[in-house]
Amino acid sequence: MSILRAIAPRTTVHAHCDLPCGVYDPEQARIEAESCYRIIEKYNASEDATFRARALVIKERQADLVKHHLDVLWHDYFKPEHLEAVPNLHQLFWDANKQTSKVKASTNLDDAKKLLELIDQVDAAWKATGGLGKTRVAGRPG
Amino acid sequence: MSETGPRRVRGAWRPGSGGPLGLRGLRRRMAGPWRVSVAEASMTPSIHAGDWLLVDPTVGRWPRRGTVVVFREPGSEVLAIKRVAGRPGDWIPFAGAWLRLADDEAWLVSDADDAELAGAGSGKPVDSRSYGPVAVEALVGRAWFRYWPLRRTGRIPKAPAAPFRRGPGPSPAG
Repeated sequence: MSILRAIAPRTTVHAHCDLPCGVYDPEQARIEAESCYRIIEKYNASEDATFRARALVIKERQADLVKHHLDVLWHDYFKPEHLEAVPNLHQLFWDANKQTSKVKASTNLDDAKKLLELIDQVDAAWKATGGLGKTRVAGRPG
Repeated sequence: MSETGPRRVRGAWRPGSGGPLGLRGLRRRMAGPWRVSVAEASMTPSIHAGDWLLVDPTVGRWPRRGTVVVFREPGSEVLAIKRVAGRPGDWIPFAGAWLRLADDEAWLVSDADDAELAGAGSGKPVDSRSYGPVAVEALVGRAWFRYWPLRRTGRIPKAPAAPFRRGPGPSPAG
């Protein structure tokens, strides 16, 4: 094993692919999570079996989008140095993703409300690390 | 419109200035790197992420078309690996028109095509098609041999065929 270590290169070269656009905003995740919230409201208010079935299908899909947007923020926007400003970053994303899974399966409005709160915490972390100025072209539209 | 006039040679060097062909330039290049490991997948199938390669850092000019080179990526200055598709003076079809490479420039592209990379979950390759021609000052060396993993050791093949050879020259229609 030590021979392998001796011959291992010390320099890394990149066969680059993917050009990140550098635009990140937790608002994307929040809008999909709000969708889930409203769908649960409508689901519970309806007696129509077809409508309720459609609501569940669409909620599954929107919840997947929440996960996707959270993951992009977690993997691509946040960097190791951000852990100083947001020490609970990984726990926060873990909790938010877990909560999204819960919302995906649930028709309880409290679950969706809790997800919105967690996304607000992600939003605060994004702001605390200068995300608003660094990633949006001209801030958030007023 | 057929003549655009002489192009300025970007980053031209003078003898003894430590440029690519000077003695000091050679000394600087001897420092390496002589071995590199590859990250990311845009050179598949010929070079995979995680491959260990031997590099000849003594080259001072852009090597033949089809050769794999290590260079500093314009803008980011990150060490990158691509294949020489066009050499100084070549005409490159680009964005529906032709681009002529200056005396010190090369056109460097990835091996993998977009479909392969999309299939592998990576994005589009980042190469001359996104950052343009690369000046010879950015050349670090020629990747020539893979020594790890063992079952794939061997010389790095020149391109099956470089995507383009000599261009047609300036369009007579102009």
